[in-house]
Amino acid sequence: MTMLTLEEVVKKLGRHSFGPFSLCIHPKECVAIVGPNGAGKSTLLKLMSGTYQPNAGRILFNHRPLDLWTALALSQKRAVLSQSQDIAFALSARVVIGLGRVGRKTDPYHHQIVAHAAHLFGLTHHLDQTIDTLSGGELARVHLARVVAQLWDVEQGFILMDEPMAAVDPGCQDFLLETLMSFARLRQHAVIAVMHDLNHALRYFNRLVLVHPTGKLERVTSGEEAKKALEHLFKVRLSCLKDEQGDLVMLPLRGQATTHMIMR
Amino acid sequence: MSSIKNPKTFVFLFSFILLLLSILGALQVGAFPLNAEVWFSLLTVENPLISTSQNGDIYVLWYLRIPRVMLAVLMGAALGLGGTLVQGLFRNPLADPSLLGVTTGAASAAALTIVLYSGDHIALFGIAKIWLLPIMSFLGAFLTCMALNISSKWLSPSSISGLLLLGIALNALGVSIIGLCTYLATDEQLRNLSFWTLGSLAGANWTMVVMMCLTLVFVYVWSIRMAQRLNALSLGEVTAAHLGIVVSRLRWSISVMVALLAGLSVAFCGVIGFVGLIAPHLARAFIGADQRVLLPLSMLMGALLMLTADTIARTVAIPAEVPVGIFTALLGSPFMMVLLRTRRYRMG
Repeated sequence: MTMLTLEEVVKKLGRHSFGPFSLCIHPKECVAIVGPNGAGKSTLLKLMSGTYQPNAGRILFNHRPLDLWTALALSQKRAVLSQSQDIAFALSARVVIGLGRVGRKTDPYHHQIVAHAAHLFGLTHHLDQTIDTLSGGELARVHLARVVAQLWDVEQGFILMDEPMAAVDPGCQDFLLETLMSFARLRQHAVIAVMHDLNHALRYFNRLVLVHPTGKLERVTSGEEAKKALEHLFKVRLSCLKDEQGDLVMLPLRGQATTHMIMR
Repeated sequence: MSSIKNPKTFVFLFSFILLLLSILGALQVGAFPLNAEVWFSLLTVENPLISTSQNGDIYVLWYLRIPRVMLAVLMGAALGLGGTLVQGLFRNPLADPSLLGVTTGAASAAALTIVLYSGDHIALFGIAKIWLLPIMSFLGAFLTCMALNISSKWLSPSSISGLLLLGIALNALGVSIIGLCTYLATDEQLRNLSFWTLGSLAGANWTMVVMMCLTLVFVYVWSIRMAQRLNALSLGEVTAAHLGIVVSRLRWSISVMVALLAGLSVAFCGVIGFVGLIAPHLARAFIGADQRVLLPLSMLMGALLMLTADTIARTVAIPAEVPVGIFTALLGSPFMMVLLRTRRYRMG
């Protein structure tokens, strides 16, 4: 039983070609996509979300080609948080979160769901603020709440995120990831996220997908066994530590910035 | 929820009452003085539609003043609605049907119709004659919308200057077509044509009022159903698609709506600019950007603006009449400059 399947998917962007990517995502799985800049992490995510059409290969979602799904049917199974979030008009946070549910024909619990989603991310007091008055971190939380509202009454859905923590301060990141992951666990959603922070990827996701510049995708379980693969991928040496709570932390060792990393 | 709802209801109520008062005021003033007696006789005469020829006052009121005021209100509402829809469609607060060339597109189609179809060599039924101009200007507006839709894909998203430059190009095309028509036109056609370039409500009659009203109700109901989708579009096309919206279909629907509004208003009143730009801005300042409340309020604001401008236009130089387009432009161009100044950071 797989939820999302990529079979030899190739995407050409200008003269650059990404892939071929082959990957299976199972229901309830939490997968972090990591890889060096330019390897095609975002491209991979956009292929999975259907934003990009593949030039070759095929993508199946619930055993059906992704492009055969209607936008409406997909939106009730899957939520996407893209990287750039430019909102043209100064809508209120309440409206933006509520837009997660725009695809529902009837939505009797709309207000409750929006209120709950906002509460989860500590936005209750920001609901009537317009988004141009929110800080970058607050805006990121609004978008997370929108994603959560979209899949609030769905089970075994699917969340795709592209660097959800980019604008969030370090104090808040863990709280947000924790909240999101427990939301997903409760409803048995699968989560796929492009993550920059290795330790976030290791702590909150059970699988890592390493995107090699060659297009090869490598699946590893997050844990100490991921160290070798990560060291090879990023061409750095990592030191593996345990923090006070016994969680695994990986830090790049100092003084190994070599030209081959930059020239790569 | 109710705490934020109240001020919104208040804004609606206030502007609605203001509009009613302005309508009453506008009905009173004009080149032909009317007193309460006329109103009274209008109500008592059994059928004002027939008994007009005997009574000049009633004629003025029923056949000139009332349709004129009604058309001004409806036109303003249509322009306000069209402006809001275009701004939502292009995710751009500086978009406006007249700035983007949609109105000029409609006007050039109307001009072509006037010059090519001079009434004699092509026989049409009476009804077809009434509809010919609105339909042609609708087509002109729709073609321009489609051209904008297609070419705005070349621009970087939410690029204001790019969109306005496109508008300049399309405007120039429309103006040159109108220019060509003026060159080819006979004297009588020329008189009709000059009406389009300046814009005036002087030709108002009940047929126009009814047609405008029906179109407006139709487009309003349709647009309200699309309001949440338009809100979603302001998060960007990609995000809107992820929320379950077929963006291409939404774009088509909005284009048809805008073309209906622009086509009909151009066919009846010519090119009247800037109302479609100012009305949504005023409405947004009062009530925020949520399309569900913005659409109706910008209609009210447009109606108020238009009625004021038209009443000034027909009373400021009695017995002569100034084209209303002059007043909306007088009001609109400084407003637009202020907008450009405050939104400088988004240019590019």
